[in-house]
Amino acid sequence: MASIILRSKISPSTVLKACSASLSTGAPSFAAETRDINKSICLKEAPLIKKEVGLMKREDIIQKQQHDEAMITIEKPSEVATFSGVPEEHIKGRRVRIFVPPKNAMQSGTDNIHQWSMQFDTRERWENPLMGWSSTGDPLSNVEVNFPNKDDAIAFCEKNGWAWFIDEKAPPKPMKPKSYGVNFSWNKRTRVSTK
Amino acid sequence: MLRTAAQRALNGAFVSPKQLGVLVTRGAGDAKKPAQIEVFIDDKPVLVDPGTTVLQAAALVGVEIPRFCYHERLAVAGNCRMCLVEVEKSPKPVAACAMPVMKGWRIKTDSEMTKKAREGVMEFLLVNHPLDCPICDQGGECDLQDQSMAFGSDRSRFTDIDFSGKRAVEDKDIGPLIKTIMTRCIHCTRCIRFASEVAGIDDLGTTGRGADMQVGTYVEKFFLSELSGNVIDLCPVGALTSKPYAFTARPWEIRRTDSIDVLDAVGSNIVVCTRTGEVLRILPRTNEEVNEEWLSDKSRFAYDGLKRQRLVSPMVKVDGQLQPVDWETALIAIGKKIKSAGSDIGVIAGGMADAEALVALKDLINKLGSEDVCTENPFPVNGSGTDLRSSYLLNNTIASAEEADVVLLVGTNIRLEAPLLNARIRKGYVHNETEIGVIGPQVDLRYDYTHVGDDPCSIKDLENGNDTFAKCLKNAKKPLIIVGQDALNRPDGSGVLLAAQSLAALIQKNVQDPQWKVLNILHKVAGQVAALDVGYVPGYEKLKDNSKLKVIYLLGADEAIERSQFPSDCFIIYQGHHGDCGAAIADAVLPGAAYTEKQATYVNTEGRAQQTLVAVSPPGLAREDWKIIRALSEFVGQRLPYDNLDQIRCRLEEIAPHLTRYGNVESANYFSQALALALKESATVNKKPISVTQKSLEDFYMTDVISRASATMAKCVTAYKTQQCSKY
Repeated sequence: MASIILRSKISPSTVLKACSASLSTGAPSFAAETRDINKSICLKEAPLIKKEVGLMKREDIIQKQQHDEAMITIEKPSEVATFSGVPEEHIKGRRVRIFVPPKNAMQSGTDNIHQWSMQFDTRERWENPLMGWSSTGDPLSNVEVNFPNKDDAIAFCEKNGWAWFIDEKAPPKPMKPKSYGVNFSWNKRTRVSTK
Repeated sequence: MLRTAAQRALNGAFVSPKQLGVLVTRGAGDAKKPAQIEVFIDDKPVLVDPGTTVLQAAALVGVEIPRFCYHERLAVAGNCRMCLVEVEKSPKPVAACAMPVMKGWRIKTDSEMTKKAREGVMEFLLVNHPLDCPICDQGGECDLQDQSMAFGSDRSRFTDIDFSGKRAVEDKDIGPLIKTIMTRCIHCTRCIRFASEVAGIDDLGTTGRGADMQVGTYVEKFFLSELSGNVIDLCPVGALTSKPYAFTARPWEIRRTDSIDVLDAVGSNIVVCTRTGEVLRILPRTNEEVNEEWLSDKSRFAYDGLKRQRLVSPMVKVDGQLQPVDWETALIAIGKKIKSAGSDIGVIAGGMADAEALVALKDLINKLGSEDVCTENPFPVNGSGTDLRSSYLLNNTIASAEEADVVLLVGTNIRLEAPLLNARIRKGYVHNETEIGVIGPQVDLRYDYTHVGDDPCSIKDLENGNDTFAKCLKNAKKPLIIVGQDALNRPDGSGVLLAAQSLAALIQKNVQDPQWKVLNILHKVAGQVAALDVGYVPGYEKLKDNSKLKVIYLLGADEAIERSQFPSDCFIIYQGHHGDCGAAIADAVLPGAAYTEKQATYVNTEGRAQQTLVAVSPPGLAREDWKIIRALSEFVGQRLPYDNLDQIRCRLEEIAPHLTRYGNVESANYFSQALALALKESATVNKKPISVTQKSLEDFYMTDVISRASATMAKCVTAYKTQQCSKY
């Protein structure tokens, strides 16, 4: 299972620490300036205060800092399903099939079959009486997501709380050299006398 | 079209033992593999075996060369020229499909010369191709369309249209399945090669030359083969399209659901194409281990039977007439009957029952205290009976049938019972010089075979005998014995099985390969192996004799079932998807789902568990079969402990773990133990010739409830009869 960490890469706590540090150093330096007027003339500009932190009260900053330091990393897949707002009927009781799309037997091209796909279980569809189009009451019926490998597909399903199963790829056949010559071999059944 | 005659002349109808010896040694000789050679495809190095074609070498590094005539599973024709590529230092482009690579070749599949060659070929093809893509059924999945996007010119240099006009060819009538628009034909000859190599019907060919060349049957004749539908897939343009599917849908508006075919015991992999809750067509899905990429005509075209004769509502007999009722009424009525019957209840499971339904029903009946769970199709139960799986499986797998050097077919018209297994044997016959012997009627299998005998005594004669075929069989390195159901369903079926077992044991000794299994049983129906795996008793003879029987539960049992076989006061429940013989004699009907409407497990004749998926929802009030039984169990007062698919599959796994290992063959052994147990009971064979139920192609099309309800299949039967009256 892929571990997803509940913390963004640039952690807000580090940003806050930097800002609050600049704030706290700001106050004593101001005190120092009152003592030595020359130094305050040398000072060209006030230190830059981050907008989002600058508007906060001091106690708020401390609280946030404490909160961020207390934040823990959970070594398990995050479950979007619990807070995504998707109705439960479309999370529980759905089965996702993870598979490699088969080659269309009608065509020789193979461009769209090199990835893993997911497909939900089929719910009822019917012909819309207005235009004859296909209608369904299933909002997930048109979900088509492709993945480079099946692990990604599994992780995606786990994250969304769907039950899944895998249809493994049927093993390919080892290539056997083909020969134009067998059409003309005189003592084999592969001989072609006419076309 | 002269091929069959030429073959006969070349090979001789009779092969002398001396020649056979030579063939066998050549087949088994493991000569040292020559060193691989290195070639460069677009400067990417690749090591290939000598003899590999440029096109195959390119495929190894993932470069796909455009082609029309070349097909992996057919002989190389080399006539479309679309696969021309540049080879460094070669003055002319070479046809990649036919040219074997040489050491150090630098092949350029994307160079200016290659592109120009392909554009030239495409221009000529399009000169002779109508611009009717908007009304063509192939539109959207057409190789010519695809490739003209890359190599076609948007300007026409075709000025002849003002003088002699565009090429036009008369359409052929080659039967009720394939629609021909021959003007669209680009003469790739794939259909011709398929017909003569795979199907073994040398009816298609070309006539005329140059601009007058035509593909067709020359005389007015139907292309009647059990595999004919595959030429629709093979045709790279819209010259051969599906007649029942004509003008129905475009490929981008249909949904594809991968599934399994259940109209024969092969378990072909299919793609069910649907739109708006309706099955529009069925296509094969490549599985090298089962059906390669072919599909039999029954599996492909019987889908219109899924819309006719369906049971859409539960029914209960009121005043001698079946009346549609709601589920609750039906289940209450049936529950009462079953409760009052107690343990005097029997089950007959038909050929299309899935493993989930079989297990649920067996659990329910066993809870009621009855052990009378039978299958509709019989199987000999002497010796170990069906306790050892090796006694009833096609043990050696379908895929390896093409490697066999000698095949003995006992009492089976394998061409009609398992068309794709027959295609494998024919492949071995063509490419591997397989010798085939037949015991039973001399049916048309589309290859030459030795007719060993008519009756089962010939099996014993082979064991003791010393004639040409017996010697050939005994010396074979990879022999196969395939026993059909028609040989085993005779009164002396157990004797036939015993004879086959002992012959197999004798010739198994010469087989070097430890994985090779000589004894193979071929089933006719998709549900039989799963039923035997979960412990159903083959055949319902014991139900016929039981006069105490109060309730009979038919789970899709429809073949030759009659009311008179059972006690007159017996209450018959039919659960299934089609109104056929079973529903006709029933007192209560529960509408089930067909194979396109349920996610269910089937085990094919080689013991491979595969699952179907829901492509469309069941019509009307019909429900998935195991759910019906689960609901009924509440009304009977014996609640079954599974509520969803995962739970019932856990139960399946408890009974037989292989049932949920989808895609795998769970192989069986214990051949010698099965033989030893069979030898304990005396089983003899009689001299009556074996007969098969499916004698000619006419008998192939309508064999089960779905294909019997199909109008397309009925048209095929009519076409066959028409063809018989024709002088060609």
